[in-house]
Amino acid sequence: MLEVRLKRKLQGFTLDVAFKVDQEILAILGPSGSGKTMTLQCISGLVRPDEGYVNLNGTVLLDTSKKINLPARQRRVGFVFQNYALFPHLTVSQNVAYGIRHLPPEEIKEKVTDLLGKMNIPHLSDRFPRQLSAGQQQRVAVARALAPEPEVLLLDEPFSALDSLVKERLQLELQALHEFYEGIILFVTHDLTEGYKFSSKIAVFESGNIVQHDDKEKVITCPSNHTVARLVGFKNLMEGSVIKVRDNTATIEVPELGGAILAKVPNASRLMPSQRVTVGIRPEYVQLRKEAGENTLYCTMDRIAEGVSATNCYFHVNTVGVTRHYLMVILSRPDSGIIKEGQKSHLYLPPEHVVVITN
Amino acid sequence: MTETYLAPLWISLKTVLVATIITFFLGIAAARWMAHYTGKCKSLIYGLFILPLVLPPTVVGLGLLLLFGKNGPIGQFLELFNTTIVFSWPATVIAAVSMSFPLMYMTARGAFEQVDTHIEDAARTLGASEWRVFWSVTMPLSWPGVASATILSLARCLGEFGATLMLAGNIPGKTATIPVAIYFSIQAGDMNVALILVGIVLVIAFGSLAAIAYWKGKAYKARAAMANREVVE
Repeated sequence: MLEVRLKRKLQGFTLDVAFKVDQEILAILGPSGSGKTMTLQCISGLVRPDEGYVNLNGTVLLDTSKKINLPARQRRVGFVFQNYALFPHLTVSQNVAYGIRHLPPEEIKEKVTDLLGKMNIPHLSDRFPRQLSAGQQQRVAVARALAPEPEVLLLDEPFSALDSLVKERLQLELQALHEFYEGIILFVTHDLTEGYKFSSKIAVFESGNIVQHDDKEKVITCPSNHTVARLVGFKNLMEGSVIKVRDNTATIEVPELGGAILAKVPNASRLMPSQRVTVGIRPEYVQLRKEAGENTLYCTMDRIAEGVSATNCYFHVNTVGVTRHYLMVILSRPDSGIIKEGQKSHLYLPPEHVVVITN
Repeated sequence: MTETYLAPLWISLKTVLVATIITFFLGIAAARWMAHYTGKCKSLIYGLFILPLVLPPTVVGLGLLLLFGKNGPIGQFLELFNTTIVFSWPATVIAAVSMSFPLMYMTARGAFEQVDTHIEDAARTLGASEWRVFWSVTMPLSWPGVASATILSLARCLGEFGATLMLAGNIPGKTATIPVAIYFSIQAGDMNVALILVGIVLVIAFGSLAAIAYWKGKAYKARAAMANREVVE
């Protein structure tokens, strides 16, 4: 288990985080400049926080109150840098062998061959980093970090330098990583889909603080605040106030939509009548209906943006006296033919997918 | 007769070799230390390090004379061991090191600062000590810059005149390096000796420059050939 508490003054904000990670994959999600990389650097010992405590499987790596600060070389923390930071003057096998020089030569050779095999790059052992593609460099960087058998592996934006085809394949391969690597994996990303695919838990960072740290399913279904909701893909977010709550169903007045909508909420008791809240729904959950009904809004489609696998449609609500509020709907490719720009339709917001965020 | 030319040549070669080796290690040690030093006196120390570069060599020579002379602090300390530096062969080395150190320091530091800190950090997370990080990563990656620094220092040592004259004087066969010997030949009206010494210096200078150009060209070609090998995903 990895236990981390850090405080460090940075330009414009203070990094102040505390979290625990079991033998699992944690995605650190947040916009750039929210302190994600600094967190990894403090865990690895490359940067010393102003105050902090890091405990890795019972070993105290850092405790500023007791003046304990193990240097990076003694921490057994693997680090994969954003630009991979391979040693340009060493071959692939020399790169991988760098951290296990203390072992006997046969063992080094065996281990390097084994790791290159597991990363699917056995044929590259004699190449130099400049002769490799970005995807190959990343595999070498992971192999190199794993060679000394670290207890925790830190990946800093591992996929940001890759094109989308290579990215997808590497994501699959890295998912298979914990079949042979049993330690803790922490990985930093600003991309939700990446974080969701690759992790079991997500910690959301915002200007130096953790705003939510939960199972990934919980983060994307029950975001704890407006920022998290926006970050995890709730494109439709609207201000409203609670009218009534009954049997886990809340009725919420949303002036922007010109009416009330229903939302199924798991612990409705936290909601009080007339409380100000934010309601949100993911664009992929909004459905087109032919007739009006419960929780439907009569809307006109303004714009359509066709994508490769899905189409984004932007609707506005046809209610008199309502400021034009857009609702975004994502339709799968086969469905996108049924509606054209300027056409009207009823939009159904399934109550079980409407989230209510208390501010 | 050949003694007139061979003695200064031999003294110069010895001095240049020893002084360049000392400057090399002193310079990179100072550059490495300053790259990580974050104390208050950083600019003061920096100024002290490059002072010999901006001062006239005779002033540096005078400073060394005051330090190493009979009444100077280092001179009095060495007196305890019955050693005097002034007007001895080691004085030529001390003068050459003092004058070439700023060049080595500045160029090497520039080269070290060019190295991507992430690569050095990667070595640290892989368990490397600071010593190993420096010799296995920082040095190989800044090698072209360090090589240039060494060549500049070597050239500075070979041409050193002012400070050498102040500290080591002109004792033929003992402290008279080629530049000093040329000056005193001209003073004595011995133009032929001066010209032959000039010829020797030209041969050494051109020879080493050609060797460096050849070696650098080879290294460049090897690197270009490597980079051109196909990248296959």
